[in-house]
Amino acid sequence: MKKEIKNTDKDIQKDIRIRARVVYAIVFVFAISIFSRILFLQLVEGDFWKEKLKKQNTEIITIEAARGNIFSCDGSLMATSIPVFELRFEVASINISDELFNSKIDSLAICLSSFFKKKTIKQYKRDLIRARRNNSHSFLIAKEVNFNELREIKKFPIFRLGKYKGGFLTLQKNKRIRPFKNLALRTLGYDRISKNPVGIEGSFDNDLKGIGGERLVQKISKNVSIPVNDENEIEPKDGNDIVTTIDIKIQDVAHKALEKQLIAEHADHGCLILMEVKTGEVKAIVNLSKIDSTQYEEIKNYAIGESTEPGSTFKLASLLVALDDKVSTLDEMVETGDGTYNYRGLIIKDSHDGGSGKISLQRVFEESSNVGTAKIITRHYEKNPQKFIDGLNRIGITRKLNLDIPGEKKPYIKNTKDPLWSDFSLPEMSIGYEEQLAPIQILTFYNAVANNGKMMKPQFIREIKSKGSVVKKFEPVVLQEKIAAEESIQMVKKMLEAVVEHGTATNLRNSYYKIAAKTGTAQIAQDNKGYKNNKGKKSYQASLCGYFPTINPLYSMIIVVTNPSKRAYYGNEVAGPVFREVADKVYSTSTEMHQLISVDTNKVLSRIPFLKNGSNDDINIIAKALAVPLTGAIETEWVYAQENQKSISLNALPEVAKGLPNVIGMGLKDAISILENNKYHVIVNGKGKVKKMYLQQLQNTKKPSVKIELG
Amino acid sequence: MRKQEGILKNLDWTLVGLYLLLIFMGWLSVYASVYNEEHKDITDFSQKYGKQLVWILSSLFIALLILVVEGNFFAAFSYPIYIISMLMLVLVLFIGKEVSGSKSWIGVGDFGIQPAEFAKFATLMALAKFLGNINIKMDDVKTKVICAAVIVLPMILIFFEHETGVALVYSCFILVMYREGLSGNILLLGVTMAFLFLLALLINVYVLIGVLCFLCFLLFMVIRKTVQNAIVVVVIFILSSVSVYSVQFAFEKLEPHQKKRINVFLGKESDKKKAGYNVNQSLIAIGSGGVIGKGYLQGTQTKYDFVPEQSTDFIFCTVGEEFGFVGSAVVVSLFLFLLIRIIQVAERQRSPFSRIYGYGVASVIFFHVLVNIGMTIGLVPVIGIPLPFFSYGGSSLWAFTILLFILIKLDSYRLEILR
Repeated sequence: MKKEIKNTDKDIQKDIRIRARVVYAIVFVFAISIFSRILFLQLVEGDFWKEKLKKQNTEIITIEAARGNIFSCDGSLMATSIPVFELRFEVASINISDELFNSKIDSLAICLSSFFKKKTIKQYKRDLIRARRNNSHSFLIAKEVNFNELREIKKFPIFRLGKYKGGFLTLQKNKRIRPFKNLALRTLGYDRISKNPVGIEGSFDNDLKGIGGERLVQKISKNVSIPVNDENEIEPKDGNDIVTTIDIKIQDVAHKALEKQLIAEHADHGCLILMEVKTGEVKAIVNLSKIDSTQYEEIKNYAIGESTEPGSTFKLASLLVALDDKVSTLDEMVETGDGTYNYRGLIIKDSHDGGSGKISLQRVFEESSNVGTAKIITRHYEKNPQKFIDGLNRIGITRKLNLDIPGEKKPYIKNTKDPLWSDFSLPEMSIGYEEQLAPIQILTFYNAVANNGKMMKPQFIREIKSKGSVVKKFEPVVLQEKIAAEESIQMVKKMLEAVVEHGTATNLRNSYYKIAAKTGTAQIAQDNKGYKNNKGKKSYQASLCGYFPTINPLYSMIIVVTNPSKRAYYGNEVAGPVFREVADKVYSTSTEMHQLISVDTNKVLSRIPFLKNGSNDDINIIAKALAVPLTGAIETEWVYAQENQKSISLNALPEVAKGLPNVIGMGLKDAISILENNKYHVIVNGKGKVKKMYLQQLQNTKKPSVKIELG
Repeated sequence: MRKQEGILKNLDWTLVGLYLLLIFMGWLSVYASVYNEEHKDITDFSQKYGKQLVWILSSLFIALLILVVEGNFFAAFSYPIYIISMLMLVLVLFIGKEVSGSKSWIGVGDFGIQPAEFAKFATLMALAKFLGNINIKMDDVKTKVICAAVIVLPMILIFFEHETGVALVYSCFILVMYREGLSGNILLLGVTMAFLFLLALLINVYVLIGVLCFLCFLLFMVIRKTVQNAIVVVVIFILSSVSVYSVQFAFEKLEPHQKKRINVFLGKESDKKKAGYNVNQSLIAIGSGGVIGKGYLQGTQTKYDFVPEQSTDFIFCTVGEEFGFVGSAVVVSLFLFLLIRIIQVAERQRSPFSRIYGYGVASVIFFHVLVNIGMTIGLVPVIGIPLPFFSYGGSSLWAFTILLFILIKLDSYRLEILR
């Protein structure tokens, strides 16, 4: 028994020894595994990790390329990028000692407060101290300052010590600015990153944005990196410039004219496009949406993106098809009766009560008679409506234009196989309903008529330039060489001219140049509400589309005003004044048009103009330009001009006294020049041309004085 | 005066020396890891290294206090200390302040203390007191259950504080129980389970179960083919299969960040920016240290703050980067010496309480060192526990000081205890 216990004791001791050794073994095994892992990590893999460290401390940063500019066709800058700076203050930087911080905090707060005026001195001081206590490494000073402001701020206390010692961090960004603010804003578009590109900025983003460069930098302390090499690894390639077809002066006039009218008519929105007939270049494009009763802004591109039922402006297309199919003539008579027409149960009404009785096709167009148009078209195409649709396709009005600016939809013009086709479709379509077109599509058609049947693609871009040299030129694009036979085009042109001469757009008539245009007043179908607006009133779209001058047309223009609610809703009343104002501006600045009007060069001058005495050369140039005959050609520098019956005779300038020329009748510029060249001191009084002159000898001057009075 | 002289005479100067050396090196490492040129003074109290000095000095004071306490105090007050500690753990769940997702701090003014750190030695003392009882036999089921309860209670409470890493530390007490007679099979089972756990996360569960089936079949072929053995093998197979399956299930229940950490560690996910970032930066720091390192205060990874939590959980990076393999080897060796010395000291104790306590100290320090250094070198998953005596932080330094100095006190007192 005793032995057994002893044995057990021995066993226990043996067991304990084993257990202790196991524990030691476990500790050793893990210790060895840690050792070997560290050995492996630091000695075997050492180089690999050192390489990784190096890579981690250097990084490649991208350098933004400068975005290209957008110019108007006359060279005005419409959109450009300027550098702006975000300013941050590493307020808790270890390089700013407490001593420095405490001694300068007050003056810094004063500078910041007086410069930005966003916070008081006390607030700045409090915020900066708090930021420093919270160990903030980037206290935002300003989100956006320009270069000149930055130069000022760099002089502030602490900041003037710079990036490392003063913790003053600047981050350069590019900001897009548009010097003409709201002008053609929507057409210029935005450079923001979005799914759907907007305007020129959006669709030409690839040209404008350029290619970013790369630079290798190395981290030298927690927040500071310096470039590794002197030059960039990859130089940024700046974006290309884009020259648009927009004429900024016309754009300005068009914008203001449309805006004025929209305000006056309390309209919901409106747009205007002015296009050059021969090239299809868009010279002005305005899109205005109502913000409040006195404010309209460029928000949506209605001119391109808003397809609506065009109404009466479409009648040109309908009648062109009939004339071109030779099923009708301008003289074809049609009975409009009392202004209503029941076509298989569809009541068509004319806009003015009473009707016009039996009138010709041309008169139908002039008066914009719905009844007349519908009757003519149903008369000829009732049996084969598809022929009418084919005609529309032939004259190009159903074409999608594939513009350079996104947003255009294909015109919705149904054919007879369309499930929505009904017996009413033919008469409805003939007067501009049951179909949808964007303003620019209507204008392109009218422009083709003005261009004798040659349909041009509307162009917004003239060329893409890189550092002043042209990279890509956008030539005019012909969409369709001839939309209809020459006679048909001439007939519809005559009809369009007649609308202004004695039809619905007589308010465009003027004595300087002739306009051809068609009015349109369509009721707008609104979602779910039919042809009524939210006040239960009918809502209208007033439009006017045409070209000018009628001989050798230069420009075509469309104006669409949606839901004018103040007074009128007829196309001529609402859109007419805008058309006139813009056309007048174009006329006054377009010398081409003037020559076209004053063709008669043989006309004898009715009156010899008055000429001031003055420089011989200047007078000769003026006389030549104005075709005024001169007599008595002399060689002197200054001449005395005398009007005769049919010419102006030039004489040498007479002298009042020895060496004192007579300057009476001269402009002040010439008079002073002559007198001072003859060593006189000149005293001037009044304004106008020289009326009187006196010789004076003042006491305190060496030179003799001449006093001249202007009047 | 004589008494104190006596205390100092019986001290184990090897342990004290190692302790002082480690905290001094720790302090220099903290200085290096948060070093900035503006505050060069190592005693600048606005900086972490200045604060660490305060913690070090107060730790020395606490050590002194422990040394002057009566030697039998600790055994006598083990249970009350354990109970107070558990109450603190409960309390912190209600009044604790939340620091980066964990609710484990009780704020006292500017300073915070972490009851979970102090619960370690409290649990250890209770365990030592219980197991040290002369009538206790490890083989009893009741003993095992009570031991398990003493250990698992703080684990659960700490787990609720979202300090999973600290909770895991308590699993190291299985080593103590093994030394006190727990069957080696249970230790083996524990290790096997941990191994299966990892495999279950790495390999498809059904493939793993198939492999287990095959292994059990092999096992049955080599042992005696009795009915009893057959039943044992089948039970082993069923148990391991169930546990493998439940690992998969439990893994799905983990918090996303924990799942991610485990996946990154296992190489199933590579995430250089988030969960894997710390480890990757830590590997760069240590790996680039080379043989002799970059020199004190010259570590670029350290200076530019690439390694997060560098003064606390990733303090070992500083050593690895600035002193290279030589420095790392010295630090790991010092910890190894410390552990061996603690086990030696434990083994020479006369009272079971002191011996068990000593083993517990070794286990806790072992677990901390293994996991902490292991995670900085990518050997174990990232578990946020500090490196003893090195990491910045008062609670952990105090807790380890108390843990170690109670052992030193018990050791110096050993000759006065009758067997």
